[in-house]
Amino acid sequence: MRIVTGALGLALMAVGATLLLTGGQLKDVALWLAGAIVLHDGIIAPLVLGVGLLLAAVPARGTARGALVVAGCLTVIALPPLLRPGAPTNPSALPLDYLRNWLLLLVAVAVVAGLVPVVRWLLRKVPRR
Amino acid sequence: MEDMKLRPPRLPRKHRMPRMTLPRPPRLPTPALPTFSGKLHDARTATAVGRWLGAAIAVCFVTGVTSHYLQHPPDWLANVLPSRPTWGYRLTQGLHVASGIAAVPLLLAKLWAVYPRLFVWPALRSVRHALERLSVAVLVAAAVFQLFTGLLNIVQWYPWPFSFVPTHFAVAWLLLGAVVLHVAVKYPEIRAHWSRRSPGTLELPAADGPDRRSLLTGVAAAVGAVTLTTVGQSLTPLKTFDLLAPRHPDHGPQGLPVNRTAAAAGLAGVSTAHWRLTVLGTYSYQLTLDELAAMPQHTVPLPISCVEGWSKSAQWTGVRVQDLLERAGARPDAAVRVVSLERRGTYRVMEMGSGYTRDPLTLLALRLNGHVLSLDHGFPARVIAPNRPGVLQTKWVTRMEVM
Repeated sequence: MRIVTGALGLALMAVGATLLLTGGQLKDVALWLAGAIVLHDGIIAPLVLGVGLLLAAVPARGTARGALVVAGCLTVIALPPLLRPGAPTNPSALPLDYLRNWLLLLVAVAVVAGLVPVVRWLLRKVPRR
Repeated sequence: MEDMKLRPPRLPRKHRMPRMTLPRPPRLPTPALPTFSGKLHDARTATAVGRWLGAAIAVCFVTGVTSHYLQHPPDWLANVLPSRPTWGYRLTQGLHVASGIAAVPLLLAKLWAVYPRLFVWPALRSVRHALERLSVAVLVAAAVFQLFTGLLNIVQWYPWPFSFVPTHFAVAWLLLGAVVLHVAVKYPEIRAHWSRRSPGTLELPAADGPDRRSLLTGVAAAVGAVTLTTVGQSLTPLKTFDLLAPRHPDHGPQGLPVNRTAAAAGLAGVSTAHWRLTVLGTYSYQLTLDELAAMPQHTVPLPISCVEGWSKSAQWTGVRVQDLLERAGARPDAAVRVVSLERRGTYRVMEMGSGYTRDPLTLLALRLNGHVLSLDHGFPARVIAPNRPGVLQTKWVTRMEVM
């Protein structure tokens, strides 16, 4: 069963490779695929691990880590509309104030993260009465 | 008041400074590799995140392939594509973009969990090991590539030299294949760490359990946050929370977003005063806009569902495509080729199979929500059909040819 599944995976990969080979843009795509590895393994991962190191000594580390994970992912989603060069000529494309919304969301994440320990403390306190 | 402490119990330190080990003398030269003493870079974390990531990639793949064949059907498929459910494409393409966005936190967490394996030494132990590493490299490259190109495509940003659609489609197969192969290779480990009480999980330090659950909660919260702040572009009841999506249901002419404006189609300033609809068939004919408006009009609620993921329902009023084709003497199962006034663009000429032409909901629409179409929405007349990608809802229609 494992061998059949593995063979199926290889076959699907072959379909993708064939599509790329016959697409006539293989060199460019291969370069960008390699770039994707560099982007993650060379930039994103070391950055995240570095932040993790700084975070190790922080009190309420779990909550702080969760807040940073949420804020970081919201930032990844916000970056394309924030960084896209040139104003779109179509008024219904990118119609929002993305910078304001992104900052608002970061504030919201910080507020929620600040409330989590308080709620935890209250929950711990109540049943003892 | 000892129980007033805000701090939960200290958790074990996750990371220590990557320690650079000096190369050992002769024989087996080991390069300076970082070491990872942090917890949670383990198979249970990888399995717990990986199964959700696998599900997101599966949904993304199935909906993406669905979209591809709806948009570019091969000949044998063109006349059997179903026009129902009317919201079919709205659902599948909304899911495609939503699952791709949800995969961002999952992919980052998954790669974080297994990152230390990048530095295993010896780097290549055997042919089998080399092949396994190669397949993982393809998996990582394809996964990051697909999410990256997808996120940029929905904001219509194309910094790469290749064309997006065929490349995104090809790499999707590469990614799915690499996932399936990876699951086959890792099956024993996945099985041993599937649940909290699986044998492999129980062998891991029990003290890591609460910290792992805390990490997984954080990742789940991130999936929820990126979904909630973008999904309103297609799931309109949640539009209040649409803060980061490239589209918003309330922004657009006549309260409906537009993908291709009249200006982009080269139609700004073009006079439609002498516009005629030409229908070519056994009995070809021409109609003025007034004559078209004098034909039996029908009003249908149908969504515009864009390949970029946004969608919104609207009330469309116009003439049934079925009626127009019948008048030209077409067979009931005839397909149609629709030509737009637009000067350039991949979708200037659109073909529609009989599954759509036979559907009484398929209209040549003249009105949107009770008002005459604006130029950006395709004035004088546009096609609106159920269960079809937005790019095929041809605007500024000038000619229809029975096929």
